[in-house]
Amino acid sequence: MFKKMTAGVMALTLGASLLAGCSSDGAEDGKVTLELFSNKSESIETYKGLIKEFEAKNPDIKIKLDAPPEAETVLKTRLTKNDLPDIMSIAGNATYGELGRAGVLEDFSGTDLAKTVQPSYIDMINRLVGPEEEGTFGLPYATNANAVIYNKAKFEEHGLEVPTTWDEFIASLEKVKAAGDTPIYFTLKDAWTGMIAWNSLGANVAGEDFAEKKNAGETSFTEKYDEVADKMAALVEYGHKDNMGVAYGDGNNAFASGKSVFYLQGNWAIPEILKANPEMELGVFPMPVTNDPAQNKLVSGVDVLLAVSKDTEHKEEAMKFAEFMMNKDTAQKYIDEQKAFSAIEGVYQENPVFEGIKANFENGTITSFPDHYYPAGMGAENLVQEFLIKKDKEKFLKKMDSEWEKVQNR
Amino acid sequence: MKKKNSVFLIITIPAFLLFFIFHSFPALQGIFYSFTDWKGYGDWNFVGLKNYLNVFKDERAGDAYLFTFKFAIVATILVNIISLLVAIGLNSKIKFHKTLRAIYFLPYILSILIVGFIFNFIFAHFLPQIGDAFGWEFLTRNILGNPDLAWIGIVIVAVWQAVSFNTILYLAGLVTISEDLYEAASIDGAGVWTKFWKITFPLIAPFFTINMVLSLKNFLMVFDQIVALTGGGPGKSTESISLLIYRGGFEGGEFAYQSANAVIYFIVIIVFSVIQLKFLNKREVEN
Repeated sequence: MFKKMTAGVMALTLGASLLAGCSSDGAEDGKVTLELFSNKSESIETYKGLIKEFEAKNPDIKIKLDAPPEAETVLKTRLTKNDLPDIMSIAGNATYGELGRAGVLEDFSGTDLAKTVQPSYIDMINRLVGPEEEGTFGLPYATNANAVIYNKAKFEEHGLEVPTTWDEFIASLEKVKAAGDTPIYFTLKDAWTGMIAWNSLGANVAGEDFAEKKNAGETSFTEKYDEVADKMAALVEYGHKDNMGVAYGDGNNAFASGKSVFYLQGNWAIPEILKANPEMELGVFPMPVTNDPAQNKLVSGVDVLLAVSKDTEHKEEAMKFAEFMMNKDTAQKYIDEQKAFSAIEGVYQENPVFEGIKANFENGTITSFPDHYYPAGMGAENLVQEFLIKKDKEKFLKKMDSEWEKVQNR
Repeated sequence: MKKKNSVFLIITIPAFLLFFIFHSFPALQGIFYSFTDWKGYGDWNFVGLKNYLNVFKDERAGDAYLFTFKFAIVATILVNIISLLVAIGLNSKIKFHKTLRAIYFLPYILSILIVGFIFNFIFAHFLPQIGDAFGWEFLTRNILGNPDLAWIGIVIVAVWQAVSFNTILYLAGLVTISEDLYEAASIDGAGVWTKFWKITFPLIAPFFTINMVLSLKNFLMVFDQIVALTGGGPGKSTESISLLIYRGGFEGGEFAYQSANAVIYFIVIIVFSVIQLKFLNKREVEN
């Protein structure tokens, strides 16, 4: 009996304190609470630091960070409920395109904030929204890069130089192979890792406007991706013996322990590799896709963009936060902590690892991820993976075309 | 009697409501949306049977059906053979049979994700090392990376996990058989084999039916094992129907189209279960 009573009292107090906790949250003497939604679990700590700084400067604004798992699904659900967060920090991908077309985001076109962003990134996200809705519904903030990572020690051991043309690239792969070493460490068990090479090749060979033309029925994979498929098939010949059996995580560890000279990955893999082997000296360069060095652009996408809900009650405060984020010092801090690149003009990643691609950011020789513009339902990466196993080029390209059209017709 | 009735209602109505809200209503909604072009958000229009016609024309869905049925049939047969053998073993008078029962049931308790991690490690590192050590060329590569063999890897994991549950059902069946029958048979001079075919198997026929139907149904809906092991790859070689519906519907924004696919699949599973039940029940009666 006594036990039961204690339990009851405990439950009551607990309930009361929970209720108290709830009520104190909302009404805080005139303070405005903004909700910041983020889709990246990696950047939570960075955001926490930045929010503290912002709140110290703006004592009457409070920011609540919300970075749930499965963030894009959560955001889509909230869209159906008409309950968008005040500020969103999301990737420049198909989901952003959908939100833009849905007309629920603030239009930044022509604003001073938008002018501080490198125009190529503004262009990139505008094309995601497409021609149906005119406007720039987000501020590109942090960007990523699709590159070739190499092991500097092995590079010297084999006497290699950074290749600037496709032929040079193949020659160096050939040299490594002849010396009995593994040129590239593929991790194709995870289908998406095949898209690193695919995107570099596709963007530079098939052109940046491929998706628009394909949607308009003016071009096709069969027509434009022949060379891409050939070069993909050529690269796989320089892998290890179990290209299809190793996953991304194992690949990072294998590359970190010196199992190959080159690794086709993005900047996001570098912290992972250094975690496995902090002593390792790494270099990066844009994959040289053609034999004309002037034509080889670096594939880079918008990793984080800032968007503001059109119907938020606290637009002024949300804009204040956006301004704070777009400030050069804040932006520098963000990319330093995140090992990313900035979309803001004049803010550069100074980490020596990225020496080989720094020039691309400075002179703007960058291009976007072609697969961000493919219809999401087509599952391109599994089709590419299948091609790399079966190597049946004609059938594969036809299938890419038919899957695209099938999704369009639904 | 009246009191009994009200108790019955108090218990049934909440259960019925919960079942309807979380199961029947979403299912009906799915059927409704399969006649529209809804993307999962935004506006939609009625499109009639267009989605259904597209599913029948969809080569990818066809491949997924073929893979799923191949997988489900092989896995169902293996699970039933193995779990019957294990159950007979555990039912005999051996030492530690209670401990052994607990151990055999362990795989069923583990979460699929953990099982996936364990087997991913076995397939990616452990088996290739054995292959290297003994010079067996076929084992030196991760079988999950081979489009012709990856499905076998999934069968191994799915069967390994499912055997425990079916064993429990068979054990429940075996307990119902009276010892006297075996004693009488022994006196008549029946061997182990005869005893099994003439006594054990006919008497656990109802359990055999339910195990066959349940495991086929479960394996037709295979999803988590594939996500944990291959993600549908390499290529599309292990893309099951549930995975295709999930991927296309939620990630690909084809909610309505994949709803139609799901409705078709639902009907297929029902038809298969009914045929199986009819066929196996008939066999029971004959015995």
